[in-house]
Amino acid sequence: MNPKKLTIETVEGALRAHQYICDRSLATVVYLSITMGKPLLLEGEAGVGKTEVAKVLAEVMETKLIRLQCYEGLDANTALYEWNYPKQMLRSKLEEVQHGDRETVATEIFSEEYLVRRPLLEAIQSDGVTPPVLLIDEIDRADMEFEAFLLEVLSDFQITIPEIGTIRAKKRPYVYLTSNRTREIHDALKRRCLYHWIDYPSLEKEYAIVMTKFPQVESHLAKQVCAFMQRVREMNFYKRPGVAETLDWASALVALNRHELDEATVKETMGCVFKYREDLHHLEEELRCKRLDLNQMLKASAELQA
Amino acid sequence: MEVTTEIIQDAVARYATVRGQGTLANLLAFGRVLKQLGIEIGMSQMIDASRSLGFVNLSSKTDFRVALRANLVSDKDDMALFERAFECFWQDCAPEPPAVDVVTPPIMPAERDGWTDGDAGNMEELLAQGPSPEAQPEPDQEPFSVPTYSPNEVLSRKDFSEMGIEESRAVAQAILMIANKIATQVSRRKKRATKGDGIDPRWTMRKSIKYGGEIVELVERKRRIRKTRVVLLCDVSGSMDCYSRFLIQFMYGLQNELWGVETFVFSTSLSRITHLIRSKDIAGALERISNSVLGWSGGTNIGRSLQTFNQDFAAALVSHRTVVVIISDGWDRGDVRVLGREMQRLKARCRTIIWLNPLLASDHYEPLCKGMQAALPYLDYFLSVHSVNSLVALGRTLQRLVA
Repeated sequence: MNPKKLTIETVEGALRAHQYICDRSLATVVYLSITMGKPLLLEGEAGVGKTEVAKVLAEVMETKLIRLQCYEGLDANTALYEWNYPKQMLRSKLEEVQHGDRETVATEIFSEEYLVRRPLLEAIQSDGVTPPVLLIDEIDRADMEFEAFLLEVLSDFQITIPEIGTIRAKKRPYVYLTSNRTREIHDALKRRCLYHWIDYPSLEKEYAIVMTKFPQVESHLAKQVCAFMQRVREMNFYKRPGVAETLDWASALVALNRHELDEATVKETMGCVFKYREDLHHLEEELRCKRLDLNQMLKASAELQA
Repeated sequence: MEVTTEIIQDAVARYATVRGQGTLANLLAFGRVLKQLGIEIGMSQMIDASRSLGFVNLSSKTDFRVALRANLVSDKDDMALFERAFECFWQDCAPEPPAVDVVTPPIMPAERDGWTDGDAGNMEELLAQGPSPEAQPEPDQEPFSVPTYSPNEVLSRKDFSEMGIEESRAVAQAILMIANKIATQVSRRKKRATKGDGIDPRWTMRKSIKYGGEIVELVERKRRIRKTRVVLLCDVSGSMDCYSRFLIQFMYGLQNELWGVETFVFSTSLSRITHLIRSKDIAGALERISNSVLGWSGGTNIGRSLQTFNQDFAAALVSHRTVVVIISDGWDRGDVRVLGREMQRLKARCRTIIWLNPLLASDHYEPLCKGMQAALPYLDYFLSVHSVNSLVALGRTLQRLVA
């Protein structure tokens, strides 16, 4: 898709065509991030489809997705570049046998040929027609030092390698950062990004998502599943299930050939939705004392307009 | 603190005179309103916001709103406030400018600007000065009693100005020492070192250049020391009243001397006060705290407070390298089972739990009260804290434990 001819509507439509149901506000910020060339920071609870936005967008733009998964202890060497040490050593040994020129070797082993490109450098050096989508996933897992370093890369889109020089991006990559808010992101980094909070989907939207991903699911089952999830999210669980869990559950129900939700089915398959023992326990309790009234909920879901 | 509709209307009215013809002038005025309401906005964000308006259809209010929001708001917690301010500001007709807009009374969030102004000497000065002249006593302040625990949730607002803070710098020193002890930890990241625990290939290679690629020197690397996050949970219920002067100072010392400290106070409910005491200006901070913390000197529900903490904050603030420091006498009015369960949950998440109990100073004290009993199994350290001497002793204990 040509980035110059984008409108909010086409972004929304294209994401939808690639099976990502999004609301207009998300489409607007994605559109803005592309046209303004500004990174987009996506926050939201786990499993609401933050990472998916970048993945789908790479497909929409028909470009490469470069992903940097953050973790504690991630440093510049893993994110940016590293020298290929074994290769460098082999070369210098070889030259030693062949009595090569010392000076030349010393410069040559620090040339691009001996450089291992890590995601950030790859994204900046990429020279396709459309710039790549750079996904910096779960930035909250990396430590503060890495954030500070990222700041430099994201503001100028250039990287300095002492031995080679400064490498500038020919075209700015589309940058998407995601965060689960397990810690606060520094203000300076936030200021450089557009910000969007992805909330849990509404009942209608969640239903649309399930039906898009699993067209074979019977419509009333999908409604029941979504109504159940909506209700459960309002309740006091340690870990509230996201859309990812809804989809897992729906696919499990399809695999098990179920057409209807009932208490037995719910209990059998609850492992798809709740991943903590306490939560499973809590759910059983709620079902038993009818605070979570399955029958009433199922009746209500049947009235829902598709 | 709750931002009321009046405050928003006030802020909008205040900048009504700045508003002019055209979107840009209005956008600038809107930016000021948001700043007034406490949303931090940088110049570059304003520029980008105005730039982004060129890309969206301005006749659609939704798109316009989303474009502004994506640029100007960078935190989920500010979103609701933004929406309210947006609704109030971008009405079809602008509100009438007030007759005397200059004397609009300053409202709380606006004081953010003042936070950074406090110079380094400010804190010590104020400590020496005692009660702050700025903190105004509440006229309708009821005298508060010192209950061991109170059966009722007494949501009293306590004025700090009654408490003279003239404690010497020795306390601050002792606190700083302790802070450094509990906050030093080995990092996973490595740095170059002459004597380390592994070879650094990058620098070994680099150093070999001067010998023509022959490896002569081995550069090693070792793990470096990193500051841990510290979460401080302070009991400010009635039974802790006689220690409150010390508590304030402890919270202050830890928060401002260390990187990555989060401070909470609890009685029947939990409040986060990190942002309130993050400045050198102690007088202003005291005022801010006393204005926003409800339930100061009230009853105690440690279990419920911990539950709130685990649910709302633990995910964001507590990791395997976090040290949680709880200061409380353990008198709990709530369900002891909840306390036990929440302590267990907290223990599973963090590195160390340190419980500081002022009552432990007494020779005859035994942790018999139910709350303390429930919490004991999950504590790494259970220590006394009540005076400068005990602080120094605490420092020594920690030194032994950490070394």
